[in-house]
Amino acid sequence: MTKKALITGVTGQDGSYLTELLVEKGYEVHGIIRRASTFNTGRLDPLYASPQDTNKQLHLHYGDLSDGSGLSRLIAEIQPDEVYNLGAQSHVRVSFDAPEYTADVDGTGTIRLLEAIRQAGIQPRFYQASSSEMYGKVLEIPQTETTPFYPRSPYACAKVFSYWAVVNYRESYGMHASNGILFNHESPRRGETFVTRKITRAVAHIKAGLQKKLYLGNIDAKRDWGYAKEYVEAMWLMLQQPTSDDYVVATNETHSVREFLEIAFGHVGLNYEDFVEIDPRYYRPAEVDILIGDYTKAKEKLGWEPKVRFADLTRLMVEADVKLLHDHQAGNIKVRS
Amino acid sequence: MPIAFITGITGQDGSYLTELLLAKGYTVHGSVRRTSSLDRSRLHHLYTNPEIYSQRLFLHYADLDDVTNLRRLLLKVAPDEIYHLAGQSHVGLSFEIPESTCDDTAMGTLRILEILRDLPGKPHFFHAASSEIFGSPDSYPQNESTPFRPVSPYGCAKAFAANMVRVYRDSFGMHATNGIMYNHESPRRGENFVTQKVCQAAAAIKLGLQSKLRMGDTSAERDWGDARDFVHAMWLSMQRDVADDYIIATGITHKVQDIVEIAFDYVNLDWKNFIESDPRFMRPADPKMLVGDASHAQKALGWKPTITFQKMIQEMTQASLNQLSSKSRANKNPVQD
Repeated sequence: MTKKALITGVTGQDGSYLTELLVEKGYEVHGIIRRASTFNTGRLDPLYASPQDTNKQLHLHYGDLSDGSGLSRLIAEIQPDEVYNLGAQSHVRVSFDAPEYTADVDGTGTIRLLEAIRQAGIQPRFYQASSSEMYGKVLEIPQTETTPFYPRSPYACAKVFSYWAVVNYRESYGMHASNGILFNHESPRRGETFVTRKITRAVAHIKAGLQKKLYLGNIDAKRDWGYAKEYVEAMWLMLQQPTSDDYVVATNETHSVREFLEIAFGHVGLNYEDFVEIDPRYYRPAEVDILIGDYTKAKEKLGWEPKVRFADLTRLMVEADVKLLHDHQAGNIKVRS
Repeated sequence: MPIAFITGITGQDGSYLTELLLAKGYTVHGSVRRTSSLDRSRLHHLYTNPEIYSQRLFLHYADLDDVTNLRRLLLKVAPDEIYHLAGQSHVGLSFEIPESTCDDTAMGTLRILEILRDLPGKPHFFHAASSEIFGSPDSYPQNESTPFRPVSPYGCAKAFAANMVRVYRDSFGMHATNGIMYNHESPRRGENFVTQKVCQAAAAIKLGLQSKLRMGDTSAERDWGDARDFVHAMWLSMQRDVADDYIIATGITHKVQDIVEIAFDYVNLDWKNFIESDPRFMRPADPKMLVGDASHAQKALGWKPTITFQKMIQEMTQASLNQLSSKSRANKNPVQD
């Protein structure tokens, strides 16, 4: 029988890659999308069939992690075999501006979803998108599944809350619920306000003569950056295990934003120092200095390992943004609003 | 004359803290939820004293999920110290009503922190965190740097709130303090907490009003202190120039069985004749070995507990005897309404 998956955050970077992976594996995929007056399904365009298509594998439903009864209804109707909770206000800096909303969606939203599953009386496998930001002011380098958390933003506090909620529902109700502690993962589909994508878009625009300066916050922050397309595979693998568990998904390398700038600008023959200016508006009130994840457990238990490393990832993103801009200019592509 | 604002003023700790602050010359404002039954028994003696109520003690309707009202209230009262004690405080019940527990306890704290960011005066803020944030700890006794490992919705929500307090202290320099309070009891303890349940049952059985007491796991161990000692620690922590986290505990554990034996001994009954085991009172996941190391509070605040466990349980049993015998006398009186 066809397996059914339900994805929150289906319209995001990870949601769209995960949808592609699951569709390829023959799943019927259900995604929850928020209503917006502008289209927010751009990343799913290649997969999204018209509502009249009867053989479609992808179904989108209106819903919201802040709407508990809507979630209950959807879970009961769809009866999914696997639930991937990727929906969130996912921008750390923004979480300082909108902390209550962030905590409601990223924290309480997870409880609403877990409760909806309990109520429906079904036993789907559950994946929670946990985050390396939970380690915050890190207590150990590199970070593993046993490193204690020290969250430094409302976003991170909410993610820690959800992490424990998942562990708690696993231990209290025997749910097959897993946390994937994903370190930064990027791709050409990364949101435009995240630093990597902000840089690669700027590189394309500067190279084309459409932009002169790039304003950034703390460029000495160090992160463990991997390729999102590979990370969604780790999510799926976690739900195929006989027992649920928590896994770090990372590259075990750490690089500064500065290194990203060097490679990105260097790839189009430019020097970042000629274009980058520091704007303290982009500083976080409390910074996370260094993140580096040890993925030994994921390698041993899931057989998962990252292939695309930092330099290749940077170049791949630059090339995608150069091509995207070129296509725009040639009128080959709709502008995504 | 300093002004204090207390959330959860009608509870055990709120009422003792109110008495302490009034004795120290404070004006005390408290927020109360509107209910159709006017249940403020713990404040009754203050509420009905015309020299206190509306002179130095003020109660305001407010709810932790009503942010506009809270904001208006805090702007008007302009307190020097805020004691945030409110929350759905029953661990077992948090498995039944997880979402509202999280909304009060986690989101409610965040909402107050957000208001504090905008208040012109910079009040000192006390958050009543809980030993339940350690849940199933890796080490004992726990101190201020023991990693959180909650095992209930209540514990997850309190861990979130404690993390947020740290984030707001680090990010915005707020004078925000976590008191990580271990179990604390008194004659005013809520009736569905195990200490009170046992003491009341011993008294009721003694008076012939009850025949049996059904209990969950009586081998469960906790670090139980006295609420009157604990509210004193709260106040001390607000008098320091710097905000910090403090473990408030006795450092001594007792079994639930010890409560049973002390309470029944006190009324000269053999507990073995009255206790029945009932799995309904077992928690889905029970924390192990919660015992606090309060040496930081002792050093920084000069605080230490003064009331012993045995004395506290005996006092609670005596209070139940007094209360139940006056009630049963009243019930025999036909003019009682």
